Amino acid sequence: MAESHRVDLVAAFPPGERRIVVPFRGRAGIGVFNIAGAYHALRNICPHKSGPLCTGRVTGRAIATAPPSGRPLDDAGYQIERDGEIIRCPWHLWEFEIATGRCLVDPTVRVKTYPTAIEDGWVVVYADEADLPPQP
Amino acid sequence: MTATLGSTPITAPGWTGKPRSGLALIDCDVHQIISKQEDLYPYLSRLYRERVEDQGMLLPGSGYFNVPKRAARSDLNTGCDANMADHNIHTIGSQYELLRSQHLDMWNVDYALLTGASVYPASVIPDPDFGAALCRAFNDWTMDTWASRDERFIVAISVSANDPQRAAEEIYRMAGHPQVRAIMLPTGSRMPYGNRFYHPIWQACAETGLVVGIHPGAEGAGMAGSPTGVGYPTYYIEVRMARPQMAMAHVVSFIAEGVFEKYPTLKLLVDECDQFWLVGLMWHMDADWKSLREQTPWVRRLPSEYVLEHVRVGSQPMLEPERREQFFQMLDAMHAERTLVYSSDWPHWDWDDPATTFPRMPEHLHQRVFSDNARELFGL
Repeated sequence: MAESHRVDLVAAFPPGERRIVVPFRGRAGIGVFNIAGAYHALRNICPHKSGPLCTGRVTGRAIATAPPSGRPLDDAGYQIERDGEIIRCPWHLWEFEIATGRCLVDPTVRVKTYPTAIEDGWVVVYADEADLPPQP
Repeated sequence: MTATLGSTPITAPGWTGKPRSGLALIDCDVHQIISKQEDLYPYLSRLYRERVEDQGMLLPGSGYFNVPKRAARSDLNTGCDANMADHNIHTIGSQYELLRSQHLDMWNVDYALLTGASVYPASVIPDPDFGAALCRAFNDWTMDTWASRDERFIVAISVSANDPQRAAEEIYRMAGHPQVRAIMLPTGSRMPYGNRFYHPIWQACAETGLVVGIHPGAEGAGMAGSPTGVGYPTYYIEVRMARPQMAMAHVVSFIAEGVFEKYPTLKLLVDECDQFWLVGLMWHMDADWKSLREQTPWVRRLPSEYVLEHVRVGSQPMLEPERREQFFQMLDAMHAERTLVYSSDWPHWDWDDPATTFPRMPEHLHQRVFSDNARELFGL
């Protein structure tokens, strides 16, 4: 039997927001994020030390092209890229790409992701890729 | 019994190493020391010579008693009075023939890095021009009385970190000499060495290919910060225990300030600060980088990657783990096959001779530590 869970109405779940739901098995739950109209779901357990990953700060990724010494103060080589697409676990602050679950500070680490769909005006999260209904 | 380490027989007692050919023994910490301040007079301008004649070199010390004979090995007594009254680091450390016969020839050392020591505190005195002049004089004395006498010497010139521009000038002046392969700075400093204040020195080293050496000295002396992060300890043994603190502070600073990103060819040699701290530093800084990378995003790689590529550690004083297998576990954890170079600290009491400083190492590791790592570091 296909396991799925209605997270929220699309109309009530705008870009930039998140919901943490506890469907299927387990107690830690799943974090569902609306990034610019696309819904992404991650297991709410950090693969590093099992912290509540999805309750962390949603932010961007700091990058620099060069060390700040010798650069203008207002530049200092410091920029934020992909703002709103990165989440940092509240335990130890590791960075994860919400859309893929990829850990940005350790390429050997990834958090489990879940498929999502929009059905009848609802955001729906599925337990497994195989559970997704056929695409229209 | 004799064995062959390089191309000539080894006569030193206790050596059990197998014969080998090629470059087999490079010593990355050999001190050449002036016997008296007058040694430097020919190399000082009249202005500074007159002041030194009148009032001495005014170099501040760390303020801790070393062992008798001012830290010299007491078994080295060539050239001293019968009653040994004048036996000290100056009479011993200033003798090339003693070094040649009792170390270079005895062990068949292929290359020895002259690391100085006499003017380390020039980095922490208030007058940057006098500091630079002392370093220049010491370097000229070193080239004339040591480097020119033996092709086995390579030289880490002294520069004063207190004026990075003057230090860079000295680096450019000396770097053309084929025996000059490094600079040497004391662990005692006003700021961690990754600070942008010092970058002209690193730029000069990067442009000339000189290795940046750091060696204990001037801790808490002159304008330097206190030897530990919690202030001045009371005894000499405490200052020795503080060396890893200082080494770690400098190495971490180089990484966090992005020095190795700015100067990708720069290499660092940390002498006489122990070695196993490198393990904890790499593990802890890697972990913290994963959490705090956002604050220093110019540190684009794991800190341990910079360490393995840019930082080398002298073996002396080689720590002596409780159990033999721990020794090899620690060597493995610090990637000794890349990071560790043999150093003796001639002619100090706590020197490490080549035969007994390590337990018998596997052949490939022996070759890396005694020769290949240093050969690659200095381009020999």
